[in-house]
Amino acid sequence: MRKIYTFLGPLGFVLIWWLIAAFNLADSFFFPGPKETLIALVNLLGGDLVKDILATLSRTMQSFALATIIGVPLGLLLGKAENAYRSIEFIIDFFRSTPATALFPLFLLVFGIADASKIAAATFGGLLIILFNTAYGVINSKKIRILAARLAGASRWQIFRWIVFWESLPQTFVGLRNAISLTLTIVVVTEMFVGTNVGIGRRIIDFQVVFNIPAMYAAIIAAGMMGYLLNYCLRAIEQRLVHWKQ
Amino acid sequence: MAIRIRKLRKRMDGLELYRDLSFTAKTGKITAIFGPNGSGKSTLFNILAGVMKPDGGAYAIEPFDQRRFSYLFQNYRETLLPWRTNRANITLPLESQRLDKHEIQDRVTTLQQQLDLQLPLDGYPYELSGGQQQMLAFFRTLITNPNTLLIDEPFSALDYQNWLHFCNILQAYHLAKKPTTLIITHNIEEAAYLAEEIIVFSDKPTRVLGIVKNPLSYPRTVNTLKSAAFHDIKRQVLELFHGKAEA
Repeated sequence: MRKIYTFLGPLGFVLIWWLIAAFNLADSFFFPGPKETLIALVNLLGGDLVKDILATLSRTMQSFALATIIGVPLGLLLGKAENAYRSIEFIIDFFRSTPATALFPLFLLVFGIADASKIAAATFGGLLIILFNTAYGVINSKKIRILAARLAGASRWQIFRWIVFWESLPQTFVGLRNAISLTLTIVVVTEMFVGTNVGIGRRIIDFQVVFNIPAMYAAIIAAGMMGYLLNYCLRAIEQRLVHWKQ
Repeated sequence: MAIRIRKLRKRMDGLELYRDLSFTAKTGKITAIFGPNGSGKSTLFNILAGVMKPDGGAYAIEPFDQRRFSYLFQNYRETLLPWRTNRANITLPLESQRLDKHEIQDRVTTLQQQLDLQLPLDGYPYELSGGQQQMLAFFRTLITNPNTLLIDEPFSALDYQNWLHFCNILQAYHLAKKPTTLIITHNIEEAAYLAEEIIVFSDKPTRVLGIVKNPLSYPRTVNTLKSAAFHDIKRQVLELFHGKAEA
């Protein structure tokens, strides 16, 4: 019974979309109906768009992996050294508030116009989010568990492996899920900008320039599906690892 | 050979917790500390455990062996690790001592039989009831085979039946292994049921009002709880606590 409610919203959404298109409530040139968009999407997925999706996916995963590999250990370390974290908190907050895309021109100068600069910008954005979430997970961990383990004779390294890492894991995953959405966003935006012929961002701009509006919508939806699926996968991993928070 | 406290002094938040507090908990016996809330009982344990420093005086646990020293916190359920199975929670102190897997397994099995523990060891703590979680944490403090046990208001959240069950497990362990046990409680029944000596604390600044000897023989049972001698022990504690006139 509950399942029905899950589908009610999306169905209503498509219905409103269809009504607007069917009764010509908006200019059909700029606002194609669900049918045209779906046909365009099916055609694209059977052809070129797969290459674009894979290219964007590859850039996103590279950025996300780099951000995770650097961000999680660094966050754990900084969370343990709380004073060190406090002293660089402002820097992290400042750059976290700076849109990573604003730094893209700088990354272009440093890394060139190929993929490296896109990956660098996306990594930068994701890294800071993962870093501060992980650090906060450590800082807010229950001191009594650590105390109990210390009294039971556990070493610092054992406490780190057995308690601190796990205790911060739910907060780390908050960071990871935010970061994967952000890295995808940055990759798509930078693809629109310069330096590549493949990528979902590139494709959206190309369709827009030639006024292939249904295809543009289809590519946007494909990008949305990518984002949703990436988040979904991460959630599934989280539910397995962080089983005690369910 | 005991837990000795000599002229201990400690101030916290501008208040004098104790001035020249002295007492001894004898080796191989259960000693209870009975006193009002805020008399610094938990702080005393934190000092003994080396978590806090006193302002003056001396204390000693003899013979001290970190590996066989166990401290059961007041909120000990919170010290369970939900990402570890119940078994892995119990064995954590042994893992930190780097015992080998078989030895750890043997210890769990032995203690489980000894104390008749019925818990699903392959489940997780969050699947257990509150009482079972406390049992699990209690089990973990006993797995190292401690010769010194500090227990801070252990069974205060339990219903009567579980309370008696826990007391009897502690008693069984005590009779088998004879650790030096110091137990903080504000439950007079618990003190009289478990301890051989009951040290009565005053309000702040805390001093020892007196010591009640409890010669009732072990193992104590429900019949002990009903006996006149048991009530006499409780009366003696109350008399010390309130002064003879009031009681």
